[in-house]
Amino acid sequence: MKRFDIVTLESPNRAAFRIEGFLFGDENSKGPSVAIVGAMSGDHINQLYVASGLVEYLRIKEEEGNIIGRILVIPAVNAYAINMGEKNWPLDKTDLNMMFPGYALGETTQRITSRLFETLKGYDYGIILEGRRDQGMCLPYVKLIQSGYEDLECVKDLGLGFIHYRPHDPIETAMLQYNWQLWETKAFSIVFGKNGAIDQSTSNEVHTAIVRFLSKREMLDTPVFEGRKSNIVDPNRITILKASRAGILISKVQCGAHVQKGETLGKIIDALSGQKLEKIVSPCEGIVTCQYAHPLIFQNSIIFRIASVEHCCHIDSAKSTSD
Amino acid sequence: MGLIEEVLTIELPVGENFRIQRCRYVPKKGEPTKRISVVSGIHGDELEGQYVCFLLGQWLREHPEAIKGTIDIYPAINSLGIDSITRSVPFYDVDLNRTFPGSKNDFLPAQIADGVVDVMRGSDFAIDIHSSNVFLREIPQVRIAKSQEEILVPLANLLNIDFVWVHDAVTVLESTFAHAMNTIGTKTLVVEMGVGMRLGEAYGHQLLDGLLNLMAHEGILDIAPLDVRFPIQSHVGEVAYLNAACPGLFVPAIDHCQIIKQGSVVGHIVSALSGEVLDEVIAPIGGILFTIRAYPIVYEGSLLGRIFGENNEAI
Ligand SMILES: [Zn+2]
Repeated sequence: MKRFDIVTLESPNRAAFRIEGFLFGDENSKGPSVAIVGAMSGDHINQLYVASGLVEYLRIKEEEGNIIGRILVIPAVNAYAINMGEKNWPLDKTDLNMMFPGYALGETTQRITSRLFETLKGYDYGIILEGRRDQGMCLPYVKLIQSGYEDLECVKDLGLGFIHYRPHDPIETAMLQYNWQLWETKAFSIVFGKNGAIDQSTSNEVHTAIVRFLSKREMLDTPVFEGRKSNIVDPNRITILKASRAGILISKVQCGAHVQKGETLGKIIDALSGQKLEKIVSPCEGIVTCQYAHPLIFQNSIIFRIASVEHCCHIDSAKSTSD
Repeated sequence: MGLIEEVLTIELPVGENFRIQRCRYVPKKGEPTKRISVVSGIHGDELEGQYVCFLLGQWLREHPEAIKGTIDIYPAINSLGIDSITRSVPFYDVDLNRTFPGSKNDFLPAQIADGVVDVMRGSDFAIDIHSSNVFLREIPQVRIAKSQEEILVPLANLLNIDFVWVHDAVTVLESTFAHAMNTIGTKTLVVEMGVGMRLGEAYGHQLLDGLLNLMAHEGILDIAPLDVRFPIQSHVGEVAYLNAACPGLFVPAIDHCQIIKQGSVVGHIVSALSGEVLDEVIAPIGGILFTIRAYPIVYEGSLLGRIFGENNEAI
């Protein structure tokens, strides 16, 4: 294992900013290579945890002589934000994952992402551990955007249950996945967890999926269990349940629950009077893939996303940008 | 005298509604000619637009007879943010101006964006007033994507601003309010002026004159066009960026945005700890310094200023 600084940047007063990398395998190895990027945002604690867990796992595997490719793990891109409870770059609040491919002569955060991206270029595979943009939590899923260079086959080797495969939004052109794909790395994101928290079983599932990927793609010599046959998620088979009222949300089910049509999934109560404002009932049978994870809910917020095998009739709009 | 309405409300968790308010002015007699939306506060830390909204409202109250079109004033789009010095949408920490056109089936910021577009749909014009951020001070300017140049530059020239900056289209900017509105046929200008969290009276009056002039030209106000300044056009020259070479405390040598000579000193980066001057910031070209840093703490790369220099012309 080689531990090294990928980016260092002096600060006016605090200790220098550093992005550290952990490299496994022979640098001259002919085997395939992968870079795994952890917390880009200060609240992506679960992503940090999974990435650092991989570093420890790969350290042992390397001692056993089982690394056959080249594996780079970057547990924290934005340590400055993590260390002070911020989400974005602490001075100007820019989201580092909105600054790719970066610009070496530009603003501070463009310089940071530019230097990072120089290191990330040329890897065969790119795995981005992502948190969510909203207050939700979800089953781990693969987010693969269509840039024209994406590789749907390789992500199936993760053996995760769901793959969101869709066209990219304009804002995603400034994100790592899109730019990495343009540079011909087979890049994809694994979105999971709840921002600011660690969920042990989700973390285990993602860890196992990445190990499976490394093994199947011949970077790691270790036997693995087969994963699931991934379902490519069709937005037409996702039912969105929205809160008609704001208040305190009491959820009765967890992500991954298989729910029946007519089943009560939770309720919203008035935060002041305690009165029940809304009973949340599933309009269809399916699996809860995503749920609102903050105790306070806004009107019209999405409470649950339910994936169904059958097309569901309760969708009031085809377009949904966050998944 | 304008009609004040809540045009978007979304329940918040504890006994309050998020709201966007509008003040609408219409002609006393006859059908309105055209419709304009004057918009501020998409970023909650930018307040220059609030003052322009006040000045415009004050003027319209005094001149109701001049009103021939529909004039909508929206002083605070991100109303939660404006009232709390929060640039992005609170709770979600998301830049509202990267969330357009939004969606009813998405998180709160996207719902706000969707609601804003819905409410303003059908306007002939929209003026989206920004005041940079807390880091930079800007002279009054309009920024236009290259693809909109032909339609929008003539309109921007009416606004009594100092500079029209036509920039290359960047895909990520397709998620802005201006792009969303231009896409649905509302000619939308983005004004940047002043600095975040503060207001400058002179800039407010300057833009008021520009708005009145634009509305006179478009028949929204029955007044004579004003005698306004003609802005410098970015296509006749180039923009030079001054980025900090090292971290430290930036001490400007110049108070305001002004014309500067090539090689002149814009400021210094100093060390508060050691007492050393770490770097002297020199203008790489001559021209008008239209952006200058207002917030002193800098890292390597922090923007210190922008200079627009006209080509083949010694200034
Ligand atoms: Zn702004």
